[in-house]
Amino acid sequence: MRTLDYNLPDELYYSKEHEWVRLEGKAAVVGITDYAQKQLHEIVYIELPKRGSAIRQLQTLGTVESVKSVSDVFSPVSGEVVEVNAELAESPELLNQDPYGGGWIAKINLTDFKKDSQNLLSAKQYTELIKTLEE
Amino acid sequence: MSQTTQKTHLYEFHVKNAKMTEFAGFHMPIWYKGIIPEHTAVRTKVGIFDITHMGRTMITGAESEAFLNHVTTNDVSALTPLSAHYSTMLNQNGGIKDDFVLSRLEQEKFLIVYNAANRKKDYEWLVQQSKTFNVKVEDVSENIAMFAVQGPKTQTTLQKVADTDLSKIERFKCAFTKLVDTQAFLSRTGYTGEDGFEVFILNTPNTNPVNAIEAWNAILKAGTDEGIEPCGLGARDTLRLEAGMCLYGNDIDETTTPLEAGIGFVAKLKKDSFIGKDALLKQKAEGIKRRRVGLRMLEKGIPRPQQEVWKQGERIGQTTSGTFSPILECGIAMAYVPTEHANEGDKVEVKIRDKLIKAEIVRFPFYDQTQYGHGRKT
Repeated sequence: MRTLDYNLPDELYYSKEHEWVRLEGKAAVVGITDYAQKQLHEIVYIELPKRGSAIRQLQTLGTVESVKSVSDVFSPVSGEVVEVNAELAESPELLNQDPYGGGWIAKINLTDFKKDSQNLLSAKQYTELIKTLEE
Repeated sequence: MSQTTQKTHLYEFHVKNAKMTEFAGFHMPIWYKGIIPEHTAVRTKVGIFDITHMGRTMITGAESEAFLNHVTTNDVSALTPLSAHYSTMLNQNGGIKDDFVLSRLEQEKFLIVYNAANRKKDYEWLVQQSKTFNVKVEDVSENIAMFAVQGPKTQTTLQKVADTDLSKIERFKCAFTKLVDTQAFLSRTGYTGEDGFEVFILNTPNTNPVNAIEAWNAILKAGTDEGIEPCGLGARDTLRLEAGMCLYGNDIDETTTPLEAGIGFVAKLKKDSFIGKDALLKQKAEGIKRRRVGLRMLEKGIPRPQQEVWKQGERIGQTTSGTFSPILECGIAMAYVPTEHANEGDKVEVKIRDKLIKAEIVRFPFYDQTQYGHGRKT
């Protein structure tokens, strides 16, 4: 697989741990990137965060499992989990099929996005990171 | 990956089509399309695996049978020419040195096919144990390419390229045949639970891989109408686990005996002495204290190796393999538990990321044998 094969929308922020962030007012919707889902392949299980829980950037937000592997999802932002995509419990394959749409994981009310953003990447920066990982 | 990592004859095909991994010193495919579609192809149609990485040793000579009866646990005297059986080699304590399939090619000629991870260890052990017997022990691993063609459509697929009537070869029987233009040895064996053949492309070192590549391509082409898939090590693992078969290094090793592992049928205790026999007799007399069991998850969650097994607030054992079962669509595992807890239907829990997830002890194989596996009712 080459970097060109990944869908990395310009309007999103990315973490070095392969999560994405879409700002919606004072909240952010988060999920795993196209690169992450392609690396994991065939996701068959997700452990979702609890609604109402407080989370800090880089804390474990959940766990995704493929047939062979187990990976933690780290929260790319700090705040309160206000919504969780319960559909993923029954259809974890949405993480593979539509990572930026139906595969969203949680909506988080932001505490200090300015601070969070210091650890986040633009699409261009994230593309560079993936290139180094694929070398 | 280190530079010494070995390549099989099909390396170019794998690199072009698969996600690769290093396994037991070889560059191997982990999946092509994905573990689930490959697994499903083998359970419902047919799949082909490159298993050239496995170890192969030829035993020849007048005392071959006596030697193999001494060093392996199954009854080699009962093995007729062009037959194969599953067996083990033990250490003096009854611990399993390896599990493998032994084929009798001729009265005084045997082929033993063992785990890739144990290639060096097994060959050295065989050589060492053979010193007092009139036999020749020869590592032929490098000179043979080996594929497993597995699934209910295997015979239909292979018949198109094999120059012998495959319907005449029963399970655990073997034959020499021409496969396309190449001399091959076929054995109706495998490690998926399904009907299938293991195909040996003889006299084919990977420095001259053309025969192996041609045979692989011919089988893939012959299976196109049947829906054949090339399959990687990922599906090989989920298939053997669903079938309840042990993976050496996970479910069995030198600290487990065949009796504990539930493969006592390979240890023929009525046979004259063999290495490890006394230890097994002692264990049998004293009672087998722990057993390998199958666990089927009753709640969401995927068990993995080396997770704790609990029952009514007490830790009773540990998993040795675990995965998501594509056929059952739930988590399954193998674990060792004390014999008093090894009862089918008993409820236990597996500790996954600090949470106890409910599971049930079930019989092997995990799937419904009327629907899947070599004994299915079609």
